[in-house]
Amino acid sequence: MMALVARRLMTAIPTLLAIILASFFLMRLAPGGPFDGERPLPPETQAALQTAYGLDKPLWEQAWLYVSRLVQGDFGPSLVYRDFTVSELVAQGLPISLTLGGLAIILALLIGISAGLFAAVRAGKAADKTIMMLATVATALPTFVTGPALALLFGLWLGLLPVSGTSQGWSWLVMPVVALALPVSGAIAKLTRAGLATVLKQDHIRTARARGLPETKILFRHGLRPALVPVASYLGPAAAGLLTGAVVVETVFGLPGLGRYFVQGALNRDYPLVLGVVTLYAALIILFNLFADLIYGWLDPRMREG
Amino acid sequence: MAIQIGGKRLVDGVNITVEAGKCTAIIGASGSGKSLSCLTPFGLTPGEAQGSVKLDGIELIEADAHQMRKARSRLTGFVFQQPLTALTPHLTIGAQLQEAADQAGPQRLSRHELAQKLERVGLSRADERLDQFPHRLSGGERQRVMIAAAIVHRPKLLIADEPTSALDASLRGEIMALLDELRAEQGLAMLLVSHDLASVEGHSDDLIVMDQGKVIESGPSADVIANPQEEYTKRLMAATPRLTEPAPVLPAVGNMLMETEAVTVMFPRPGWRRGKIEAVVDASLTVSEGEAVAIVGGSGSGKSTLGRAIAGIGPLTSGRINWQGEVLPERRARSLAMRSLIQPVFQDPVASLDPQWKVQDIVAEPLKNLRPDLLRTDRDRMVEEALDDVGLGAEYLQRVPNSLSGGQAQRVAIARAIIASPQLLVLDEATSALDPLVGASILELLAKLQQANKLSILLITHDIASARRLCHRIVVLDEGHIVEMGDMAAVIDDPKADSTKRLIAAS
Repeated sequence: MMALVARRLMTAIPTLLAIILASFFLMRLAPGGPFDGERPLPPETQAALQTAYGLDKPLWEQAWLYVSRLVQGDFGPSLVYRDFTVSELVAQGLPISLTLGGLAIILALLIGISAGLFAAVRAGKAADKTIMMLATVATALPTFVTGPALALLFGLWLGLLPVSGTSQGWSWLVMPVVALALPVSGAIAKLTRAGLATVLKQDHIRTARARGLPETKILFRHGLRPALVPVASYLGPAAAGLLTGAVVVETVFGLPGLGRYFVQGALNRDYPLVLGVVTLYAALIILFNLFADLIYGWLDPRMREG
Repeated sequence: MAIQIGGKRLVDGVNITVEAGKCTAIIGASGSGKSLSCLTPFGLTPGEAQGSVKLDGIELIEADAHQMRKARSRLTGFVFQQPLTALTPHLTIGAQLQEAADQAGPQRLSRHELAQKLERVGLSRADERLDQFPHRLSGGERQRVMIAAAIVHRPKLLIADEPTSALDASLRGEIMALLDELRAEQGLAMLLVSHDLASVEGHSDDLIVMDQGKVIESGPSADVIANPQEEYTKRLMAATPRLTEPAPVLPAVGNMLMETEAVTVMFPRPGWRRGKIEAVVDASLTVSEGEAVAIVGGSGSGKSTLGRAIAGIGPLTSGRINWQGEVLPERRARSLAMRSLIQPVFQDPVASLDPQWKVQDIVAEPLKNLRPDLLRTDRDRMVEEALDDVGLGAEYLQRVPNSLSGGQAQRVAIARAIIASPQLLVLDEATSALDPLVGASILELLAKLQQANKLSILLITHDIASARRLCHRIVVLDEGHIVEMGDMAAVIDDPKADSTKRLIAAS
């Protein structure tokens, strides 16, 4: 088990490096720069700024400098939010995004697994068909539709929840988390339902039934764990989906999370900010995939070897 | 008792009695309803049982959920056919055994007691096994765990549904002996289901023969076997190969056809460890024209690997294969004519046929590759002839494999193998997945083809008794080495190697 973790962390380094370099050069291919405003700056000021931030050096050298600073934990300064380093901006945004993403995945797992379980137990009946149809709808609706729709319904018409920004308590989290969790929960419900449908036909379930166990015990003790294997393998991509979804949700609900800095940074050509967020996203996704692999091993002991 | 699934009556008028301490065996072909009859009253199949099934005073057909649970747990233990999948993969052996013990009412067994239960069914290192997950155990070991779990709560009835059919031949005897012992020890009643008469013989008091959902014949085992009354039972008895039956008359043997010289096959060891697994070591054997040679061994003995190397469809690490005195080159270098000389037939007939193809295309495929010069009309004619040779009419041309029975599918596979006029057929367990009656008819077909076409046959099997019906000579393989080789009758009369003795005892 530890060997697996060590091996994964070793391969994570070149993966991260490749992602950083690819985004570094791709971003530079995009036209425009960080100091292009409405009113063009005088050429001397432009040049002075370029020199101050080292943007006049050859691209390869800049890339090398960026990576070598990154290794020491220095994400560099923000080019647009003057007086702030990228680390400071990230430190502001990350807690909000992590709370949002973490709660969303927990909610999605709760809704998805219980809905899938319920549907599998009632396979072929009306409840099963309704749940599976709702799951399809939930998966198909993008967050930029559900987000505003939720805001309209619960925020504006019913006035139950705040529409924008953070506030005291937890009420501001409800709609963004729900909007973020919905598509993921739909997919998890479908995977759980399909997984259980396969597992409940297997021989070891018959063995459990032959022991006279109650159906609930058969389901939870013998059936559920192997049925969740496809869910575990979906967790990696789901985490990526949540992060990109968070970009939209944070913009829709006006939350100062990482996603918003990401969008702003990209629009402003704030190179270090975008790179910093990309690096962080990549690291999170890699970490989540590793996490999913560990869950895999718990769900099915055969995966622990090899 | 009658059983129906979705309104279709599959089993009708079945009467089964099992007395405490006795064993009743039900035998029949697949689809005869024997497993359904045993499992449906307990609600373990999709079917619905009617009539009356009484277990220790409980009427199972009308039992409510509570009574049914009691019948399943306290009164009955079950052993199923597939030991590899019958245990829950994510629970340790110890946890599952404890769960089984709880059937008699919650009782905490100590670790030592659990280990003793495993030792009782012949598992070594029992204490270590308690913490292991099922995938670490072999098929035979898992079946022992299943048996331990089936009797740990001291049930009154043990239902064993084909307990040995998924196991290696030499293990079958051991498992059956274990079941006999436990039955005597605990005064268990046992209901034993099998498609194979040989594995039931000597282990059951009463015998019930089923066919197409009906009981054909029943009575004390010894009487039914010694003196079968019904036509179906007689045919079943005759189909079951026995070492005691008179030796068959085999066709004369011609000149040397194929010879292997020190054939060795090695595979890289899986995982990080370096090294190789020696699947076959220095195997030298000969096959003459019109001769049938059996390659016999337990599972993992390397018999299939050797057969695949000879047929040119598997790896060959070193050694040579000579064909009529000339070296047969490595498989990729073989010419079309050389390739058509040796043709394989595999164990699982349905799986070895492409489910999307029609029988016509399946049988014609070797011709398209090996005889590209043929005209389409000639090819079609040859396909019909090949099907006719294996006893299938032209109405099968348009069928797809899924609509064929196991025996029909194996006939199609044989037609595909013989259509390019090979001189040697390599049959890898070609009858072991089939019911005894169907398997016997395939053996008869092979004997007929051999005589008619001067065909040589390499029959790879674990079953010496059925090999004896067809083969002149026998080659016994154990752990990759040829341990014994010789004339079939001579080897059976006076086996030298231990593994030969074990295989003969298991037949």
